[in-house]
Amino acid sequence: MNNVFLKDMAYRKARVILTTIGITVLIALILMLGGIMNGMRIQAQQYPTFTGANIWISAEGSGSAFVGFSLLVPEHLAYLDGAQPLKPNSVSPLVFAHARPVIRGKLGKAVVVGYKADKLGGPTQFELSEGRLVTASQYEGWAEADIPPREVVVDEKMNLEIGERILIGNKELKVVGKAKSLMFVLDTPLLFMDLRTAQEVLLKNSLHVNMMIAQAAEGYTPEKAAKELEGFDEQLKTIDVRTLKQTLRDIIATYVDEPMKAVQFLRVMLWIAAGLIVGMITYVTTLEKTQEIGVLKAIGASNFYISSLIIKQVVLMSVVGVVCGLILSYIFAVAAPIFVSIHPVESGIVALISFVVCCAGGYLAARKAIAVDPMVAFRGEV
Amino acid sequence: MGIVVEGKGLTKHFGEGDARVVAVDQVDIAIEESELVMFMGDSGCGKTTLISLLGCILTPSEGDVWIGGEQIDYENHDLSQLRSEKIGFVFQLFNLIPYLTAVENVTVAMDIAGMKGNEAEKRAAELLTQVGLDQRLHHRPAQLSGGEKQRVSFARALANNPQIIFADEPTANLDSRQSANLMNLVRELRQEHQTTIAIVTHHEGLKKDADRVIQMKDGQIVSV
Repeated sequence: MNNVFLKDMAYRKARVILTTIGITVLIALILMLGGIMNGMRIQAQQYPTFTGANIWISAEGSGSAFVGFSLLVPEHLAYLDGAQPLKPNSVSPLVFAHARPVIRGKLGKAVVVGYKADKLGGPTQFELSEGRLVTASQYEGWAEADIPPREVVVDEKMNLEIGERILIGNKELKVVGKAKSLMFVLDTPLLFMDLRTAQEVLLKNSLHVNMMIAQAAEGYTPEKAAKELEGFDEQLKTIDVRTLKQTLRDIIATYVDEPMKAVQFLRVMLWIAAGLIVGMITYVTTLEKTQEIGVLKAIGASNFYISSLIIKQVVLMSVVGVVCGLILSYIFAVAAPIFVSIHPVESGIVALISFVVCCAGGYLAARKAIAVDPMVAFRGEV
Repeated sequence: MGIVVEGKGLTKHFGEGDARVVAVDQVDIAIEESELVMFMGDSGCGKTTLISLLGCILTPSEGDVWIGGEQIDYENHDLSQLRSEKIGFVFQLFNLIPYLTAVENVTVAMDIAGMKGNEAEKRAAELLTQVGLDQRLHHRPAQLSGGEKQRVSFARALANNPQIIFADEPTANLDSRQSANLMNLVRELRQEHQTTIAIVTHHEGLKKDADRVIQMKDGQIVSV
């Protein structure tokens, strides 16, 4: 009679179903939270990787290009443009800043990328799904009175039409192109505009930039180029140089790992909750079944027989709960309003850990069961 | 006739110090093959504790127990295996597993002893037929009367051909008609299986069926 545990579960089906649903929801939440963080990591890396730059320069002490408040002046560009470790003509000044554009009368969120035409950091015509690139400014001989082109290339997922207008910093910008989707963390769309336009709408026409990006010259690894540039900067002592790898590490730490510490903590709490749910419900059920367990022990059931009845139930509930949780998490990921990336390997690890945690809860209940005195079979007395 | 169960110098106390209670006090007893023994006495006199000691559910504080001539070594014997193979129990509150049918309640005892599959189910059905429940094989305890539940209990106790069945107040929760029917069943089972049965009871009317009535008081046997 191998199915005694199944008959017991069928007899207490409401409790079994509720416990399994509890595990399912908790596993789905654990995976979703992990998926949100994965999604943020992927999006955090998209733009820096897209630029093709492997050298990232920011103001000294700012932390890194994406981390702190960095301002670089045109003199830096002049200094870096001829630097030997960098590929000739590859240095590109960038404005990269979060903004709140007004789109169709509503306040939205976006990251403004101001770049120089034909330099690193902006899209090429090939990377547009519709429309054209923004018109380039006259960078040489710029005067404050000059009005930069008020044009913007938006992300295709923003559902804006070519020719529509958006407001940033009270300046009206015309949508001239749509870039193939390239989001920053938490589905924040990128708005590409000419460097001077970005300086006008965000920096009150100041000629400062946040960062400069470049490519290492032939014969230089990014690490070697970065080290030598820091050395060249002995006179200015005003720049930090990082490789793409370091920049990605910084950006992930700043935008994902640090803010998500609480979420990581929450994930651990959810695991503990899953274990507690299984443990407590199985424990309470075991207490309820004390008389039955006592009878089974009185008629000769071994500790192994008793504990295996309970462990089998917990294993079955955990397996069903974990599998349903996996399926549910993938459904949630598709329906979520932000980018969620659930990694199959991580799903496997989460499933395994959750299964072990649930079984640990069941093990405690099984220990309680084998401690039942068979004397309870006689008149319920211990 | 050989001795099936024997206890010598059996003592069981619970608690320590001022809270110490001696439930069974220096009892010597032997139950012979095919015998029907009844234990009688006031509540709390130690009857249930004594059959629990003889049935290897409790470990004696002092004294020794022999089952089928073999002395129980409480440290090295697998007592649960011994109970499943050599001893049957019938309880006052029937104690059937509520989610199992009558036939499954009998089969589970065989499952515990290692008998599986169709063979166990066939034997369970035969035993239930013997106790008059051939029409109730697939009924759950909630669908059975008190008397029927107790019959299932007896069938379960017989499942593994035990050397002795200990029944604790088997008629306490039955009306007089059901009690009479149950005792008829006990008589039939003794004739059929030559089973040794020890019954704890307050029911004076059952005395007439006993080969021996053991009267207990304050944890001791006062008359046989």
